[in-house]
Amino acid sequence: MIKYLIQKEFLQIRRNAFLPRLIIIFPIIIMCVMPWVMNQEVRNIRVSVVDHDHTSLSARLVHSIEQSNYFRFRGMQPSYELARKEIEKSRTDIILVIAKGYGKVAEMKAKGNAIPSEEDRGKILIAANAVNGVKGGIGASYLSQIVVASANPDAAALQSAVSTFYLYNKHLNYKLFMIPALLAIVMMLMCSFLPALNIVSEKETGTIEQINVTPVSKWSFILAKLIPYWLMGLLVVTICLLLAWAIYGITCQGPIALVYLLTMVLALFFSSLGLLVSNYSETLQQAILVIWFFMVCLLLLSGLFTPTRSMPHWAYLTTYINPMHYFIDAIRTVFVRGGNFAAIAHQVYALCAFAILMSFWAVVSYKKNS
Amino acid sequence: MKQFSSFVIKEAKHIVRDRRTMLILFVMPVVLMLIFGFAISNDVRNVRAVVVTSQMDHVTQQVIDRLSHSEYFVITATVGTSKEAEQLIRRQKADMAVVFSKDFAAKRKGIQLIVDASDPNMAQQWNTYAMQTILNPQSSLIETKMLYNPRMKSAYNFVPAIMGMLLMLICAMMTSVSIVREKEKGTMEVLLVSPVRPIMMIVAKAVPYLVLAFAILVSILLMARFVLGVPLAGSILWIFVVSAIYILLALSLGLLISNIASSQLMALLLSAMVLLMPIVMLSGMLFPIESMPMVLQWISAVIPPRYYIEAMRKLMIMGVGIGEVMREVAILSGMTIFLLIVSLAKFKTRLE
Amino acid sequence: MNAIEVHHISKSYGKVKALEDVSFSVGKGEVFGLIGPDGAGKTSMYRILCTLLLPNMGSATVDGYDVKRQTREIRRRVGYMPGRFSLYQDLTVEENLYFFATLFGTTVEEGYNSIKAVYSQIERFKNRRAGALSGGMKQKLALCCALIHSPSVLFLDEPTTGVDPVSRKEFWDMLAMLKERGITILASTPYLDEVRRCERVAFLHQGHLQGIDTPDAILERFSDVFNPPAIEHSKAVTVGEENVIEVQHLVKSFGSFRAVDDISFSVRRGEIFGFLGANGAGKTTAMHILTGLSQPTQGTGTVVGYDICTEHEQIKKNIGYMSQKFSLYEDLTVAENIRLFAGIYGMNDQTIARKTDELLSRLNFAEHKNDLVSSLPLGWKQKLAFSVSIFHEPGVVFLDEPTGGVDPATRRQFWELIYDAAARGITVFVTTHYMDEAEYCDRISIMVDGKIRALGTPDELKQNYHQPDINHVFTYLARQASRSSD
Repeated sequence: MIKYLIQKEFLQIRRNAFLPRLIIIFPIIIMCVMPWVMNQEVRNIRVSVVDHDHTSLSARLVHSIEQSNYFRFRGMQPSYELARKEIEKSRTDIILVIAKGYGKVAEMKAKGNAIPSEEDRGKILIAANAVNGVKGGIGASYLSQIVVASANPDAAALQSAVSTFYLYNKHLNYKLFMIPALLAIVMMLMCSFLPALNIVSEKETGTIEQINVTPVSKWSFILAKLIPYWLMGLLVVTICLLLAWAIYGITCQGPIALVYLLTMVLALFFSSLGLLVSNYSETLQQAILVIWFFMVCLLLLSGLFTPTRSMPHWAYLTTYINPMHYFIDAIRTVFVRGGNFAAIAHQVYALCAFAILMSFWAVVSYKKNS
Repeated sequence: MKQFSSFVIKEAKHIVRDRRTMLILFVMPVVLMLIFGFAISNDVRNVRAVVVTSQMDHVTQQVIDRLSHSEYFVITATVGTSKEAEQLIRRQKADMAVVFSKDFAAKRKGIQLIVDASDPNMAQQWNTYAMQTILNPQSSLIETKMLYNPRMKSAYNFVPAIMGMLLMLICAMMTSVSIVREKEKGTMEVLLVSPVRPIMMIVAKAVPYLVLAFAILVSILLMARFVLGVPLAGSILWIFVVSAIYILLALSLGLLISNIASSQLMALLLSAMVLLMPIVMLSGMLFPIESMPMVLQWISAVIPPRYYIEAMRKLMIMGVGIGEVMREVAILSGMTIFLLIVSLAKFKTRLE
Repeated sequence: MNAIEVHHISKSYGKVKALEDVSFSVGKGEVFGLIGPDGAGKTSMYRILCTLLLPNMGSATVDGYDVKRQTREIRRRVGYMPGRFSLYQDLTVEENLYFFATLFGTTVEEGYNSIKAVYSQIERFKNRRAGALSGGMKQKLALCCALIHSPSVLFLDEPTTGVDPVSRKEFWDMLAMLKERGITILASTPYLDEVRRCERVAFLHQGHLQGIDTPDAILERFSDVFNPPAIEHSKAVTVGEENVIEVQHLVKSFGSFRAVDDISFSVRRGEIFGFLGANGAGKTTAMHILTGLSQPTQGTGTVVGYDICTEHEQIKKNIGYMSQKFSLYEDLTVAENIRLFAGIYGMNDQTIARKTDELLSRLNFAEHKNDLVSSLPLGWKQKLAFSVSIFHEPGVVFLDEPTGGVDPATRRQFWELIYDAAARGITVFVTTHYMDEAEYCDRISIMVDGKIRALGTPDELKQNYHQPDINHVFTYLARQASRSSD
């Protein structure tokens, strides 16, 4: 009989004015816009320079900043105070102050001469607007690299002693990093909100009462609700993968079947979460807010945006009970690093355990007889 | 006046009686603040490094010690070939490998860093930190000063963003849903036919949400100051004035949505799609606007929270005077007036 | 000057014409009935007069003000109770009343006299949330909210749908009181006894005004709609000896409130059993227990031979159910709805296809096979919902107020279907507020305050209580109870 229930869900989805459009528009927006937006690369940092030194060396430094395609040179300022005003007006992000005597000190250093004790007179000050800590930090460290390289050619030579090989993502393409994570967001939105809203609205119109007096078992009722959304999710994931290939030329490095396996297990988890919430909610607003709350927390603590290893210890512990974390880890291993099943086995098991636990709870909490 | 107050009381009861929604509304900011304040960071820490060397001599050991003594790196293994190291990285047992060439001790040259670049940002940072640790250059030449946020805490950046997001969500979503609910349930028909003026109805609906929004604003500010230690450098008065403009703007957006939406579901989806997504994505809350392509930067220019978040960052964190945020305040006020006029003009006093 | 003047009003929604060239006038202080089947255009007319809709053509005045231009003046002077008047579910009974009183610029104390008769029945629940009231009690509260102020013109769009006969009578007594004070009342209703209480009625059909006259003249002229010949229940159908439903000492309590308070009865195979009771007497709660939707607090019982406490899933396989709220999916077509429910009961595709065609041709409904249910008139939806609920030939079918809000002719057609089903040996368990329908039943029970007060054939009850008809029996019992519960 589950066949008839699933058919009914599909008919209702097709008749809905909104859902069929969503299936088409959603992946397009996600794939065409999000990779450009979800870009934490720090670029176009604006630099203002205060030059008290006025030597050829300081001019060379200013020139090399102008040349850098990382920074945007915002011109010279006569004093540090005025430059600070520029920051307050959001016209610049970093101030570079070249103190008097910079040229002299740097020259002596370069020649290997003993450095005079009053060396601090010739120092360089980098003052960055660190309200956004990441941007300020990265900007300052890049700027200091330029300063070092310009003042001390030897240091540049020294840097060449160490070479770097970037694995898996040679061009440091941030989109490659984000696209597998977007699949997680797609599955999360499609599979948790939609079935939950569907059930709450059947509650509100009263048709669920009619189903409850029929011999439909809990399992078949719930499965019939979920299967259409899983299939929709799969379709959307497929469209996303195709778009990623067509627009960005990004393809999965590992076996594609693993990507599907992972998204299916994740879909099971999130749809069960959606059902669970809808079983306990009376109104749409409640259901949406509660699901949204859980989603935001799971997402933020999953390592999708920031590395989990940078978290403090107690926060890192929460990732053990965060299915999203296992998913993100595993899908990046497969998609970007080209890992095989062995590489993600323990994540898959953990994810399955969470999904089964959650779906069990969801079915148990659904009451046909109170 | 009596009608007005009984309207406000009724609306307040709707809010207070929905315990779960209330709970979420107050727990949400607290949890978000804790997550952003303590749990999330981009700091380079606990990076798992693998050493690849064929012979362990004194010079190599020195470099390894320098890495393992730094606060950034943990040496998890020592292997013979870079192939093995790569296997470890692929299995997520390590983040980077430090490969020493055979004649490293003799030439003092030939270190290769193999970095897992699936996260390019972090990869670059790890690379920079590793280079600095390995080379250990003494550059006393440069002094770096982190203005406003010397310890580079992410909370400084996120508190204004959370304010922008939550105030918009509460005011716009909740008001629109509460108006649409009356339409859907049929009580709106009675209200419209009653002698009460529509404008009074709208204002009465907005008042409880206004109070709620201010309560949440105050709780966010208190948490920011006393739990996260974010300084409130600017004038509290102006913070509230700018927030009031923003809340008004959110309320009129909510009213506008309620005019368009015919069902609660649609109002919820509209607020989620039209408000929440663009706010999170395009307001500069999580992702810097200046890194986006031009088209998206233009779109972000019409997103109100962008200006609010910008103004709050300046007022709260940088502690500038109101004069420096005049541009943002002017844009916000303009948008508010525009939206208010449009939504009031569009408010239907008849059915379709 | 007349209180309401309507001149050549037309209104259409896209291609659908709701009203076409309707004109009538209502004098000051008149009780005027606006009647007609579902979809006749009554609601559109109310909305136009309340200034909620603009007519496409024609003009109308209310209390001397034009409905198109003098919106604010009219809104200050009229009271309106829409058909789907809904209360604030999360406010208590008292809070709802206070809110609507202040909304209309009056107080509960001032208006108390005009609502006393109905409000006294729900006053003991005044601290309960409106959402927790039963359907009929909500309607009563809505009536109180609509009548709390004294406007000069009152519009009531089917105000008594789902309300028990006693309260309906009290409600109309209240309207008569308002009329004494010079208030003009425009009301619509599907109940004939209420139509008779109007001074004049206008009969609308598919947007056209068919006639305006005294109630008796209209009921006479359109007797095919209002007074169809009574149906013959062929008593040839033998009622079996075995009990299909049997319950003993059933109790269901919510907290300290006993919704169902120790009821025992049995229903035999092939019987049509009418389950009557005032609003909030516990009918729906009892039905939920019998259909396996909820567990009884105490007591035992069997339905089609299965225990209601432990074997509720077995019961569900062998019964049909048609709920008060709508039970078909509005966004599926007729055939798709049938297919879904038939499939749920385990029929195969071939049987479904064959039986669907049979059913639709029997109902003369074959050409609407692929229409969406939402596009059908109410009466048709009810007939379909019933046909779907007995499509799998269950032992018993439970009908919870199946004919609310439709005209007598349509209700008659519905009862023909019920007789058909009974003739095929399906036991019918039905609740209703139409006392003429109660007379159609083989046996009825009358529930008051959670207890069964009377049980027997309609004739037995009439004799026992010395009343001319079931309506009087019901009123007699329900009055008695409300006095004792005070």
